[in-house]
Order: sequence, then C-alpha cells, then structure tokens
Amino acid sequence: MDPIVNIFGHFHPLLVHLPIGILLFAILLHGLSYKKRFSNFEIILPFTYLIGAIAALLSCLSGLALSTNGEYDEQILFYHQWLGITVAIVSIVGAYFTKKQKTTISKWVSIALLVLLFITGHYGGTLTHGEGFLTKDATAQIKVATKPVITNTQEAFLYADIIQPILEEKCYGCHSKIKQKGKLRLDTKEWILKGGEDGIIIHNGTALNSPMYKRIILDPVDEKHMPPKGKPQITDQERILLEWWINSGDHFDKKVKELVQPANIAPVLIVLEKNTIKPIVNEEVPLNEIKPANQNSINQLTKIGVTILKVANNSNYLTANFITVIKSNDTIANLIKTVSANMVWLKMPRMNFSNAVVAAIASCDSLTKLNIEHANITDDQLNQLQNLKRVHYLNLVGTRITLKGLLPLKNLNQLSELYLGETLISNKDSLLIQKTFPKAKIIFGNYRTQNLPSDTVVLKAPIKK
Amino acid sequence: MSKDNKKIIKEATIATTEQITRKYFFKECFSGMGAMALGSMLQGCDWLGNKDSFNNFTNTNPLMARAPHFIGKAKSVIYLHMAGAPSQLELFDFKPDLLKLDGQDCPQSLLEGKKFAFIRGVPKMLGPQAVFKQRGQSGAWISDNLPHLATVADEISFLKAVQTDQFNHGPAQLLMHTGSPRLGRPSIGSWVTYGLGSENSNLPGFMVLTSGGNNPDAGKSVWGSGFLPSVYQGVQCRNEGDPVLFLKDPAGIDRDLRKASIDAINEANQLTYNEFQDPEIVARMAQYEMAFKMQISVPDVMNINDEPAYIHEMYGTEPGKASFANNVLLARKLVEKGVRFVQLFDWGWDSHGTDGTTAVDIGLVNKCRNIDKPITALLLDLKQRGLLDETLVVWGGEFGRTPMQENRDGKTMPFKGRDHHTEAFTTWMAGGGIKQGSSFGETDEIGYSAISGKVTAHDMQATILNQLGFDHEKLTYTSQGRQFRLTDVHGRVINEIIA
Repeated sequence: MDPIVNIFGHFHPLLVHLPIGILLFAILLHGLSYKKRFSNFEIILPFTYLIGAIAALLSCLSGLALSTNGEYDEQILFYHQWLGITVAIVSIVGAYFTKKQKTTISKWVSIALLVLLFITGHYGGTLTHGEGFLTKDATAQIKVATKPVITNTQEAFLYADIIQPILEEKCYGCHSKIKQKGKLRLDTKEWILKGGEDGIIIHNGTALNSPMYKRIILDPVDEKHMPPKGKPQITDQERILLEWWINSGDHFDKKVKELVQPANIAPVLIVLEKNTIKPIVNEEVPLNEIKPANQNSINQLTKIGVTILKVANNSNYLTANFITVIKSNDTIANLIKTVSANMVWLKMPRMNFSNAVVAAIASCDSLTKLNIEHANITDDQLNQLQNLKRVHYLNLVGTRITLKGLLPLKNLNQLSELYLGETLISNKDSLLIQKTFPKAKIIFGNYRTQNLPSDTVVLKAPIKK
Repeated sequence: MSKDNKKIIKEATIATTEQITRKYFFKECFSGMGAMALGSMLQGCDWLGNKDSFNNFTNTNPLMARAPHFIGKAKSVIYLHMAGAPSQLELFDFKPDLLKLDGQDCPQSLLEGKKFAFIRGVPKMLGPQAVFKQRGQSGAWISDNLPHLATVADEISFLKAVQTDQFNHGPAQLLMHTGSPRLGRPSIGSWVTYGLGSENSNLPGFMVLTSGGNNPDAGKSVWGSGFLPSVYQGVQCRNEGDPVLFLKDPAGIDRDLRKASIDAINEANQLTYNEFQDPEIVARMAQYEMAFKMQISVPDVMNINDEPAYIHEMYGTEPGKASFANNVLLARKLVEKGVRFVQLFDWGWDSHGTDGTTAVDIGLVNKCRNIDKPITALLLDLKQRGLLDETLVVWGGEFGRTPMQENRDGKTMPFKGRDHHTEAFTTWMAGGGIKQGSSFGETDEIGYSAISGKVTAHDMQATILNQLGFDHEKLTYTSQGRQFRLTDVHGRVINEIIA
C-alpha cells in the first residue's frame, strides 16, 4: 500500500474527533437558537454545519485509508463506514436547510444527526477497543469468577483447557474475530497455523524459532514485544506453558498426560491445580478494622525505650519490640494493657518476665506473633498465655521452657510456626508436640554445617615454566 | 541629539524608575506574594496526588522507628555483595553446551556491536570450570564450588537473568546499590533507614562490613546517603581493633563528662538549627547522640567471642581474625538486635585470569570456600532462631562474566578467566517472604544472553523495598526541586519469586 495513504489512515483516530466536536456544538447552537435570547445564533448555523461536514468528510477519507489494512472486523467496519458517510451527508443537508431557514426540517435533521453521531462513534470504539468495551471491566470480573476449574491437569486437554484460556485472556483483544492486528487471528486452530502478515507464527515445533514465542520473550520495552506495553502481560507460568505447547509440536487435541513433560512443567501444572484450591493464609494481622491505640500510652512506651509503632501506615494494629528493655515492671504491664487490643506482633527478647507483664500479654487478644527468645519465663507464666488463640508464630528459642509449659497451650490452634531450639524440650517429644499443635511446623533447630575435607584446602596456581 | 538617542534615554529612565518607584514596588510585591501563596496552597492540596509519598525526615529524631506503607514480610535485610562480580557460569548457571564449544573461536554474531572491558579481537569460548549437580527438591543447579550452600538450595530463589548496563565495577556497584551508575544518590540501605528508622534506639539502622582486603571499587558512596540527610548513611564497622573508629573516649575523659560535653555541643547546635533550619544540623546532633550510645552498644554487639562453640564451628568463624565468616556472624547478631539493613562487601571476585588468584579454576574456588559455609550457616541459623521469615538475604555481584575466555589486549592469558559481562548473571534471595526453592529467568544455551525473566538492579531494589512494606514508587525524597526515589523511573517488583 502507498505509505502516504497509510500515514493518512493513521490520522483517523485523531480526525474523527473534529466532526464529533464541531457537529455536537452545531447541534447545541441549533437547539439554543430556538430560545429567544439566542435567536441570533441562527446566522452561524449553516457555517458550523458546513465546517462539521468538511471535518466529517476528512475523517471518512482517512477512515477509508485506515480500513485498507484489513485489521478490523468486516461486519462492524461496514456499519461504521457507511454510518460515517451518512453523517457527512446529513451534516451537509443540515447546512443546506439551516441556510434556507427551513426550521422544522432542520430540527429533525439535527436530531437524526445527533443519533447518528452516537451510533457511528460507538462502532468506531468497538473497532478499536474490542466488542463490549463499554462494559468490559464489569464483565471481566464475572469471567474470572466463572473460569473453568482444572482439578486434574493430567486429564486436561493441553490446548482447549490450558492454552486457549491464556490466548483468550491475553491475545484475543487484538487477534480474533473482532480485530486482526497484523492480519493475525489466534481464535481457531486454522487461523493459528495460518499465521499473520509476516508469515507463519509457529515454526516446526520449536518455541525459540517461532515468531509467536519470540515476540513474547522480547524485552518488554521492545516495539515488537507482545502483548504490547500497557496491556496485561503473559506471566512466567503462562510463558512456560506456551513454550511447552509449541515445543511439543503445537498439539490441538492431545491430553496433558499424552505428551512428554519436561522438568520445568511439573511445578507449573501443580500451580494450575492449586489455583483452584484456596490457599490457607495465615492472618498476619486480623482483617477487621480497629480504632487507633491510645497515643499517650504509645508515647510513654517509646520513652522507656520500646520500639512501638503501627505495623503499616494503613493499619491501626501495633508491633512492639522491647529489644532494649529487659526488666519487667508494673508500668510496662499497665501500658501494654492499655494498647492490648491493637497489639499483634510482640518481641521481648531476653525479657525477665514478671507475672504482671505476662498477664498484660495474655490480654492482647489480637496477638499473632510472639517472640520471647532467651527470655526468663517460667512454665507457669507461659501457661497464662493459653487463650491467645490467634497466635501463629511462637518463638521460645533459648528459654527454660519444658513440656509442662508448652502443652497447656493446646488452645493455640492457629499455631503454624513453633521455635523450640535451645530449650529444655528435646526433639524426642516432637510427635507429642505435633499432636498438640497439628498445624505447626516445629523447629528444634540445632542445625549444623558439615565439615568437608575441601573446606580447608587452598588451591595454589601451578608454577609456570 | 538624534531622535533615536532620545528614545534610548527615555527607555533607560523608565527602566531605572521601574526599580525604584512605589507603584512598581507594590506591583512586584503582590505578584510575588501571590506566587508564594499559590505555591503553599498547591503544596497543601497535594496537586500531584502523591498522597502516600512522604518526606520522612523529622526534626526531632530522624532515626525514630517508622511504619512502612503496607504490611511487609521482611523486617530487615542482609545484603551480601561479592565485589568484583562472581562468575555465574562456575556457580549457578550450568551450561553443558558451553563445554562442547570450549576452546573454539567465539562466533562473530556474539561480538558484533558489543563492547567488552578487556576482550579484544576474537576470544575463545571457555566451558564451565566446575562440576554441577541438581540440588534439593527444587533441582537447582549449584556447582561443587559451593557444597554447603547446595544443602540449603530449597530455601533460595534464584534470579538467573539479571541484567545491567554498566561493565565497570564502580558504576555497576553504584547502580546495584543506589539505582544510578553515577555518584550522588542515596544507597538502598539509606533509603530503608530513611523509611523505617532504626528499630533499636542504641544502634544505627544501617551498618556495613567489608572483607577480602579491599573496599568495593565504587568506594564508600556505595553505602552513602547521597542527598538524604547524612544521618541515614551506612555505618562501617572494622573487623579488627575498634569496630568503629574514633568512638572511644580519650584517656582521662569519663562517660559523664563525655555526656555533658555532647549535651553542650548539641545545645549550641540546636540554637544554630533554630536560626538556619538546616536538616544537616539535626543529623549532626542525632549522630552525636547515637555515637554516645554506640560507645556501649557497638563493642557489645560486635563481640563474637561469647558465641557458643557450635556457632563458631557452624559459621567457620575465628574470633579476632578479619574474615567474611566473622562478618556474616556479625550480620546475624546485628539483625537480631534490630538493625534494619546490614550490608556486606567481600572483595576479590574479579576473575580475569591474569594470575592464579583471579583464575576461575583456582582463585574463584578459594573465594567460594570462604563464603560457602558462612552463608549456609547464616540461612540455617536465621531459620532456627525464627528470623529467616523476617530477614531478607540477598546475594549477588554487580555484573556477570563472559562465556568467553578473556584475552586481554588480544593475547592468550596464562590462566583461565572471564571478562565482565552485563547481559545475564545470577543473583539470589532467600527468606523475608521470598519463595523457597524457586528459580526465575533463563539464559541461552551458552549463558551469553538472557532469554526470559529478565530483571534489572532496579527490579531487585523494588522487590527488596516491597518485602519491607514499601511501594518503591512512593518512597521519595525531595531534592533539587523534584522527588527522587531509589528506582528512579524504573523498577518492577519481581512477583514471580515472592511467596
């Protein structure tokens, strides 16, 4: 195609806004001119319609130039094209009748023009942004919710169940029935194998030779990268799946189990299945909102050396670290009590616990993490904490805690991490502890690195002659 | 007098009177004040919409602990930088195809339009100089140079396709740590301290330990505070002698007298601050206070003699000896004490092959032995103390090394070495909410260029900040009329490696 025609065509998205603006303004002036106050607007009407008509004509011509590249859905293009031409003609008609001061006819012409403008514009939008673009975001959410669930990936069809949904989500916007950018469609087997204007997109079953895959792995800032900048990108998992699909010889009707599965596929398939099961999330911080804690208490705690602050700017829950405070006293206990509802993460390493401070901690209902490593705490004191049901992280490393202190905490059924290194509890009792805290990962630590003979060897360069 | 001259004189008279007339004075006053008022109004209504961005500097206590933007997984970071750039091809990026090409001329296609630091003409390809195995359940490739680390492969997330655009050590290190290859930007540790303050009021938020005999090539700017108030710069501790220089009181000065003199100095500084409002004065006052506290806290935390014997055996530490192992153990102690960012630099990874110490099959192996056990011990020790979940460990260099053997000045080198390589190298992260046993990014069959999962220094920085609870686009500081951030205009959080 002639490059000048091509460039002119690319001006269409810019030019179309001229007739829309000018003609809407003409219709507005026209409507107002029926009011006595604005009756002198009549004089300007023929001119405004005429300018609008000229602008419409220019957009029609640029539109025709753009349509020659054949990237658009023919049906919608047909309507848009002829409606556009009609807009141009009707605006000339409007100019004529307003000039002749035929008020009744010109009134109906302007109403018709208004309707035409909206319909034509909508078809234009459909061509650029895809079908249903007005309501897209609302429907997209519903779509995610109803996305078919793969429960057994081995039984799934590679193309229909795994690949096609990826293409649909990430590629169909520009390469399907509604639009064929680069004369490429990806919505059926035949179209995929046919390729686009640069030829076939999948070469003899090797992903790295296939333009389709090459475009995906190009640098995201590269002009040829697909999907284009700003559009939702192919994720790494999806990329691995596409690579596998192409490498296995673009199979359209094989099940996953019928294909050779390279090493990097297994974890991705597991994730596909896992996506369908809701992951169990540990509540780092309770989900319900809470009022800000007493600022005065926070200030006083800060003053005595406690690092106490909100867990994040957008949360009123508190985290406190008593790193420089190792002596308990009643002031501390009372201050903790005043902010107990907000306290979620508490670190009191090497603290010498008094009963009062333990009681204060026991009142922190929202507490999810408690780290009292190397603290001086008795079994009886620890038992006081048995109602902190939300705690999922408990660090008792280096304390003198025994089973007598630990087992009564059986109510802490959210416990998922339990650190017992350097305590008086030995890992012989790990079965018993695991039974008490079924969800918990129990870490006794005591890790060692091996002593390898190579550790101390120092290589020397041979003396060259 | 000609007509033209008259005109010029008239213009000159008007120009002079404009400077001095009452009317002109008032006019200027109004427009000037109007502009000032508008400026303050615009600031007040936050017209750029940067509602969440905050200038964190407070006049009273710049190191006070602060909350991040959102709930972060990590509380602190240990960044292990192997200065000189370790060879990914001898450690993590296994390329059996490169072995087949060993000794052959490098194809022209890899050299055209490329610039190397030392390679000239046509170099030979150099196969991997280490034995690789897949490790752990994740099947990560780790060479026999790191036999200890191989045992904890399942804790680590590898980034196999890191890229940079700097092929000299200094600029590349600056890019890694300050987000810009040129001097003048704050380092990542400074940004973190600026954002979070110090969790332990007796210790700085950002501490630096170096080993390997030299400081990194980029110099101390690599842990500098740039345009941030200097209270946020990294505090370097030495391995031998006094950990921090000039911290001890002179003979004959007791602690009370020292306190009294600091109080007096700070009072004088406060008066100057009241007059000039220069934030650097506050920084200076905070540093005096901090130094006073550090006189007690630092010797305590920097002392590894009291660690039990099994810890020393685990890390391979020898108290009193300057070593990377000692620094790693110190890093764990510092993090335990609430230091936010511990930066370790180990010098000597620049494996050019000019002599035995820089050969990939001799010197590099020795360097690996120095770090292998300590890093493995660090991960295990953090884990058994329940700290790995909230401590992000980052390992990496400033760039990678070429699949070709270096031929400095076009000559064959006496030892096997590799040149600086920017297009693909490996780094890793562990703990701090990072996926366990995963790998992101791939390189081509000879490890020359990245194929997928490319990430940059800015992406790594964005990810580190994200794990600490920061939106890297919103942690900003206004300097010279614009808001700066660590990642400048770049950076993408690498969600693929986040658990």
